[in-house]
Amino acid sequence: MTDAALARRRNHGKWKDLLVRWSFMLPTIVLLTAVLAYPLFYTLQISFSYFDMSIFGAGEWVGWENYETVINDYRFWESLRVTLIYLIIALPLQVALGFGIAFLINAEWGGRGLLRALFIIPMVVAPVVAGGVWRMILDPLWGTMNFLLGLVGIGPFDWFGDPQLAMATIIIIDTWRWTPFIVLIATAALLALPRDVFEAAKIDGASWWATLWSVALPLLVPIIAATFVIRWLGAVKLFDIVLASTFGGPGKATSVINLFIYEEAFRSFHFAESAAMVMIVLVLTMILTGLFLRGSRKLEELY
Amino acid sequence: MSTVDLINVRKSYGSVEVLHGISLHIADGEFVALVGPSGCGKSTLLRMIAGLEDVTSGEIMIGDRVVNDVAPKDRDIAMVFQNYALYPHMNVRDNMGFALKQRRVPRAEIEARVLNAGRILGLEALLDRKPRALSGGQRQRVAMGRAIVRDPNVFLFDEPLSNLDAKLRVQMRSEIKELHQRLGTTTIYVTHDQVEAMTLADRVVVMNGGVVEQEGPPLELYDRPRTAFVAAFIGSPPMNFLGGTMVDRSVLELKDGTRLQLPAPDPQNRSRVTIGVRPEHFVLASDGWPATVSIVEPTGSETQITARLGGHLIRILVRGRTDAKPGDSIRLTVPADLMHMFDSASAPEVAATEDA
Repeated sequence: MTDAALARRRNHGKWKDLLVRWSFMLPTIVLLTAVLAYPLFYTLQISFSYFDMSIFGAGEWVGWENYETVINDYRFWESLRVTLIYLIIALPLQVALGFGIAFLINAEWGGRGLLRALFIIPMVVAPVVAGGVWRMILDPLWGTMNFLLGLVGIGPFDWFGDPQLAMATIIIIDTWRWTPFIVLIATAALLALPRDVFEAAKIDGASWWATLWSVALPLLVPIIAATFVIRWLGAVKLFDIVLASTFGGPGKATSVINLFIYEEAFRSFHFAESAAMVMIVLVLTMILTGLFLRGSRKLEELY
Repeated sequence: MSTVDLINVRKSYGSVEVLHGISLHIADGEFVALVGPSGCGKSTLLRMIAGLEDVTSGEIMIGDRVVNDVAPKDRDIAMVFQNYALYPHMNVRDNMGFALKQRRVPRAEIEARVLNAGRILGLEALLDRKPRALSGGQRQRVAMGRAIVRDPNVFLFDEPLSNLDAKLRVQMRSEIKELHQRLGTTTIYVTHDQVEAMTLADRVVVMNGGVVEQEGPPLELYDRPRTAFVAAFIGSPPMNFLGGTMVDRSVLELKDGTRLQLPAPDPQNRSRVTIGVRPEHFVLASDGWPATVSIVEPTGSETQITARLGGHLIRILVRGRTDAKPGDSIRLTVPADLMHMFDSASAPEVAATEDA
C-alpha cells in the first residue's frame, strides 16, 4: 500500500472513530438539551421580554425592565432574607447533627442495622406528605407535639401562627427530612476512615474526645465540606416542605425565595418578573457554590 | 524494658478458634520474630499483645503484670503498623509528639524527645512536613520515630516493611536491626518474610494454623527444622523434598521407581519417608543420585540449577560457576548430616514439588 492510501485509510478510521464517540454521547446531549438547556434559555428569554399571555410565550424584548421591577420589589428582598435565615440555621445544624448521630450510631452494637434503616424513612417519604404529617403533629389544637410538651409543662405553642416559631417549624421539618441523608454520608465516611490510624491513636493514649477532635474530625473535614456543598445545593431549592406546611405564612415569615417565585408566576401570572428572579437566584447560587467549592478545596489542602 | 510472657493464649472469633494455645517467653531486650504464612494468626497474636484484640483465654504478661484487661495505652507498648498509620493531617513533629501530648508531657520535653528521635532516624530535615509529602521509607521511619519517642517497654512491629520496594526493604531492615542494638528494647516483629525474620531476630517463632510449629534461634531453625513445614518455610530458595517408600533402611524408592541410596539410614525404620535437602547442600559429584539439568541460572556469586530427579524437579545451588548445561546428566550427593527426614504424612509441602 502506498503512503497516501495508508493516510487515507487512517483518516477514514479517524472519522469513524469520531462518529462512534459522538454517537455514544448523543442520547445524553439530546436529553440534556431538552430538559436543561432549553428551559434555561427559554427562562432567560422570558426574563428579558414582556410576557404575552395571549400566546403564552415571550413577547416584546424589554431589556432589563423586569430585573429593575424585581430589584425594586421589597418582597423579593424579604424572601431572600427569609431564605438566608433558613440556610444559616438549617445547614450547620443538619451537618453537625448528621455527623454527630453517625458518630454515635457507629459504635458496635446489635440494633445498628435496624437503626440505620429507620433513619432512611424520612428521605423516602414524599416531601409534601412529610409536610402534611408534620402539619398534623404540630397542629396547635390537636397535634401530638403540643400534647407531649404539655405533659412536661411546656407550651402550648402556635407552631404555624407565630412568625418566629413558623420558621423554626420549617427548619425542624427540613432537618427531620435531611439529617438522615447526612447521617448516611457520614456513616460511609466514618467506615472508610483508615482503621489503623485509630488503633495508633488508641495505643498513643488518645481519649475518646481527643480521638474525635484530633484524629476523626480532621480526617473528615474534606467530606464534611463536600456534604455541606451537597446539602447547600439541596437547601437553596427548599420549596415543597414550605408549600405543604406553612405556605409562606404567617404573613411572609416563611416565604422562601422559591415559594415567592412560584406564587408570583403561577398565582399572579407575573411570568416575566419570576423569570428575572430565577435568573438572579441562579447567578447568586452559582457564585456562592463556587465560593464553597473553593473553600472546601482549600480545607482539603490544609488537612 | 520488659519481658513478655504468653501463657496458653487462645483466640476465637465466634465458634472459630484461630489461635490454639500459644505459650511463649520473650526475654528482656530480646528481638523475636513471629513468622508464618498469611492466616497463621501471627498478626492476631501481636494485636492481642498490643491490646487491640481481646484475649479469649490464657494470659498475656508484660513484665510481671497480667495485661489481659489493660487498655493499650497503659501497656507501655508502641506499635509500628504495616500501613504506617500516621496522622495524615499532622506534620512529622506532631505525629511523633502526639502520644506524649496525650500524656501531658511538658512541651519542652516533647520537643527534645522528638528532636532526639528525629536525629536517630535522620528525620531532622523533615520535621515540618506532612506524611503525604514523604516517601514510603520516610513514612516508615516516622512511624518508628513515633514509637521511639515514647520510650516504651516493648516495640511491636506488624509487617512494617511489606509496603516498601525490595531495595528499601533491605535498607530499612538493617536500620531496624541497628535501632534495636542501640536501644535494646524488647521487640516483637511480625512478618511473613522468612528472610526478614532470620536476619533480624534473636529468636524466630514459626507459626502455622494458629499454633507454634517451632521456635528457636534462626540458624537452629535452619539447621534442625522439626517439621517439614518449618523446613519448607525457612531458607531461600526453599528446601527440596523427595517422598517415597523405603526399600531397606537406607534406600528410598521414588514414585517412578528411581532408587536413592541415602547417606544415612532412617533411625526410626519407617516405611514411607520424605527426605529434605536444601539447594545449597547438594554436592555435584562423579557418583551419586542421577539427575538431568533442565535450567541453569547464574547470578555471579552462585549458580542455581534446576534439575529433574526421578519424577521431581529439584533446585541445586552451587557456589561460584559451573559448566553444567541444560540436558547434561549430573550426579548428586548429600552429606549425611545435611539431609533431613520427615514422616510423609506430615509433609504437606511435598505435593507441590512432585511432578512439578
